[in-house]
Amino acid sequence: MFEAVLNEKQARVDRLQAVALAGLMLLGTAFVYSATMVTEAARTAPLYEQSWLRQVVWYGIGIGAAVGVCLVDYRSLARWSLVIYWAALLLLIAVLIPGIGSIRFGARRWIDLGVFQFQPSEFAKLAFILALAHFLSRPADELRQPRNFWKAMGMTVLPFVLIMKEPDLGSALVLLPTALAMLYVAGVPKRFLLRLMAAVGVLGALFLVDVLFAPPHWQIKLEDYQRRRLLVYFGAEYAPPPGATRAEIERLRKQQFDDSHNVRQALISVGSGGLTGKGWRQGTQNALGYLPRAVAHNDFIFSVIAEELGFVGSVLVLALYGAVLFTGIRIAGQARDRLGRVLAAGIVALLFSHVFINLGMNIRIMPVTGVPLPLLSYGGSSVLSSLIAIGLLQNVNLYRKTY
Amino acid sequence: MAKQLQFRRLLLAVVAMVLGFAGLGFRLVQLQVLRHEELTDRARENTQIKVLMEPRRGDILDRKGNLLATSVFVKTVCADPVLIGSRQTEVARAVAPLLGLDETELAQRIMPRLRQNEKGAWVTNRYVVLKRKVSSETWEKVRVAMKSLTFGVDESSLPKSQRRFYQTLREKAVFTDPLDDQLRVYPGQTLAAHVLGYVGMTERELNGSRILETSGKDGLELTLNSKLSGVRGWRLTEADRQRREIVSFRDQDVEPRDGLNVVLTLDSVIQHIVESALAEAMERHAPVSVSAIVVRPRTGEILAMATLPTFDPNRPGDAPAEARRNRVITDVVEPGSTFKAVVVSGALNDGVVRLSDVFDCEHGRFYYGGRALHDHDSYGLLSVANIIAKSSNIGAAKIGIRMGEKRVYDYILGFGFGVRTGIPLPGEVGGIVHPVNKWSKVTIAQLPMGHGLAVTQLQMTMAIAAIANGGWLMRPMLVDRLEDPDHHVVARYSPQRVRQVISEEAARTMIEALKLVATTNGTAPKAALEHYTVAGKTGTAQKVVNGVYVRDKHYSSFIGFLPADNPELCISVSFDEPSRHGYYGGVVPAPVFRQIAERAANYLNIRPDRGEELTVPSEPVSLDDRPVGTASARSL
Repeated sequence: MFEAVLNEKQARVDRLQAVALAGLMLLGTAFVYSATMVTEAARTAPLYEQSWLRQVVWYGIGIGAAVGVCLVDYRSLARWSLVIYWAALLLLIAVLIPGIGSIRFGARRWIDLGVFQFQPSEFAKLAFILALAHFLSRPADELRQPRNFWKAMGMTVLPFVLIMKEPDLGSALVLLPTALAMLYVAGVPKRFLLRLMAAVGVLGALFLVDVLFAPPHWQIKLEDYQRRRLLVYFGAEYAPPPGATRAEIERLRKQQFDDSHNVRQALISVGSGGLTGKGWRQGTQNALGYLPRAVAHNDFIFSVIAEELGFVGSVLVLALYGAVLFTGIRIAGQARDRLGRVLAAGIVALLFSHVFINLGMNIRIMPVTGVPLPLLSYGGSSVLSSLIAIGLLQNVNLYRKTY
Repeated sequence: MAKQLQFRRLLLAVVAMVLGFAGLGFRLVQLQVLRHEELTDRARENTQIKVLMEPRRGDILDRKGNLLATSVFVKTVCADPVLIGSRQTEVARAVAPLLGLDETELAQRIMPRLRQNEKGAWVTNRYVVLKRKVSSETWEKVRVAMKSLTFGVDESSLPKSQRRFYQTLREKAVFTDPLDDQLRVYPGQTLAAHVLGYVGMTERELNGSRILETSGKDGLELTLNSKLSGVRGWRLTEADRQRREIVSFRDQDVEPRDGLNVVLTLDSVIQHIVESALAEAMERHAPVSVSAIVVRPRTGEILAMATLPTFDPNRPGDAPAEARRNRVITDVVEPGSTFKAVVVSGALNDGVVRLSDVFDCEHGRFYYGGRALHDHDSYGLLSVANIIAKSSNIGAAKIGIRMGEKRVYDYILGFGFGVRTGIPLPGEVGGIVHPVNKWSKVTIAQLPMGHGLAVTQLQMTMAIAAIANGGWLMRPMLVDRLEDPDHHVVARYSPQRVRQVISEEAARTMIEALKLVATTNGTAPKAALEHYTVAGKTGTAQKVVNGVYVRDKHYSSFIGFLPADNPELCISVSFDEPSRHGYYGGVVPAPVFRQIAERAANYLNIRPDRGEELTVPSEPVSLDDRPVGTASARSL
């Protein structure tokens, strides 16, 4: 009894968040299973090669890492934040070097470690959040100085540009709302933020206008697939180069149809799920390969869940993420120092951005970018970084001063 | 102060997040609740495939089970121009000679083309039919040729995508429709062509998809189309994205029901006997056409029916339309003297005359009703029997006059003239018989000699067969039974009597008169057979051209049956405008009758009724389950 009174100073693990996370991991296991066990080859593969088990192992490793993160007070971690930040930047540079970074799907995003394809950008996001939180934890007066605002901007732009270079538009874009939320919560004056948002808005609009409407010579250099995804999202037709032959035009039209296939089929999957879904492992869109097998278990896992569990399942997913995010905000609100608050806010913003962008592309309110759904999408780097992020969040909760 | 600001800002962040979630939620409601039906349909469209399965068209067999028409499965060879790319010339060079197509034209056809579909979207042509109805052997050759195609480039040095292009070009660019097509084959070629008819392809729209259908266009193929064609089957099933069927999701799987086999009363041997005799006659007499019918009087079964000129139903388009016409049912003629048998048997039936009654034949010239009637020879007094034997027009006219208009008309209708016989063939006509009130004064004198009305050869044949059959008019029979593909009888048709026109007694008397025709006293000694008594009647009618009888165009016919007192076969042979070596019924068709009768009787083992008796009665070979060989049954 006394112990309880004594321990009251010590904040505990946020129970509700833990339950929600467990729910997400259960869902993740079940639906990575459902999404991958559709071919004879997958069913007969040895256990250790099966995706769902690998996912479970990654959950284990991730929980271990989260617990590890919680061992050290976040304030101590923050002291090392600049080192971690520069190390992450180094990795981001390393991945661009042909000998080190390996190419998949036309992008150089991974460092092949043999057993595991390591994706530096996933961890760079966390390093960035930690470093920016540390930077923003300085006295409020300093935050009002434009110099510091520009420094903070510099810290954001550096990883942003490097990740764009890979190219990984989605991961890079996630940094922007995260940085914005952190600056906002830290108390950076509104005028800076408004200007920043205006600038980003204008730039973004110019960029879109350029991609969609500019004649070929005027367009910014963009990866071909990125341009096509944007065109698909906005429903614009692929413009053939001047003087294209019939066959080339034909090829482009077919390509457009093929490119929009994923989005179209994801929409059909979600919609055909209806209120209660077709049942676990009963979704035809997924099982018969209309939702492409290459993406069904990672970027489009939500479509699988929505098809097989229906509206109920989608709402469940939203509710679980809602629980995680709102407890995260509660942690931010309860944090007694700005470092903790900004750190927590940054992580919540990062997770929210991931969830919103990924769900958005599944239901066609966002263009397709390779942003995984935290904890549900299959993939080691994503699971690991998501759980480390949660670990940081719990860390803030755990080492909260209750005075 | 700063703390408060931070809290306010956190709260705003919460609001932003709530808005974001609300947006997602709204979209989810829209998709999963409001648009659920629409998207479910689209998901089903994704997977659902419907396959139509064509039934096999039934065979047509003769009474002994010989194939007259059958269906063989064949391939439709198609090509995918997208996979061929720019290699049209090589592909065309390899494939065209095997398919019997023109090389340059083929190369044109397999060019990739763009077109706009109904929705305005651009699509390529990925499906070009190169040739239909290709036998499996030919397709195998095409496949091998495509597989071993070379393009004059060293492919091992090409990049991977190029190598894959050539690989798919070889294996997949030329392919066959997944469902086999059918080819109707008539192994006998022209044999019984007019009876069998032919088939054609029609494109039909079925539930939005176009299908090619084989259906009968003429002959039995047309009238029995519904029996022959069977019932289409279908399969409603699901497929994955590669369009491979998921068998466990098969929803409806209805096997096609193959068409029924039709067994005819025709005997292909007799049919062949008839057709070769007609071909010889065609050569010798060069008529416009010549045709013959062999019918069994007792049952009305048609054993053979042939018309020249004819056509090959395997290639009906090669023959002119008049060669495809089954003249024995579609063409009407004034029958000429064969019709005397009809009127005289009626007179005998009514008891108006007896065979021994004598008429004055006016030495070949008789004025009646303001017209002169002529005989082909000058006769004085002739008995009724001799009027038939010599075929005296004047004698027949006087018999008709003695009967009276009403009775003549009754017997004409009684013997089935003026209405269709009901043979299951398309295009049959009923002929022209005027009612009594339309007759002129001379009509009663003209009708007995076969003028003043128009009949088909089939009607005339069936009328004579009725005399042979004890006065019973039979409905002509072509279809004996329908069988399912396993040769179980589905329906068996029995002979149908139409009516008894004359009494058996009158018929027997009439036969006595008809026997005289095929003797040296009659008009057709050339119809006489060595071993069988023949009863029959000749006919030689001048043809009407533009309403005037012309001297040099004749319709000559001979209809006879044997053995005369117990008839097994009734055979009619008729020539339309024989132009060489005579034109009389006793000269031109009678020898053809004789030729057919002799060979057919031998083939059927009909017991001879004259000439020397066989010392050892051979066991009659009954090749049939029907009483053709009743002669043997009687001998027991």
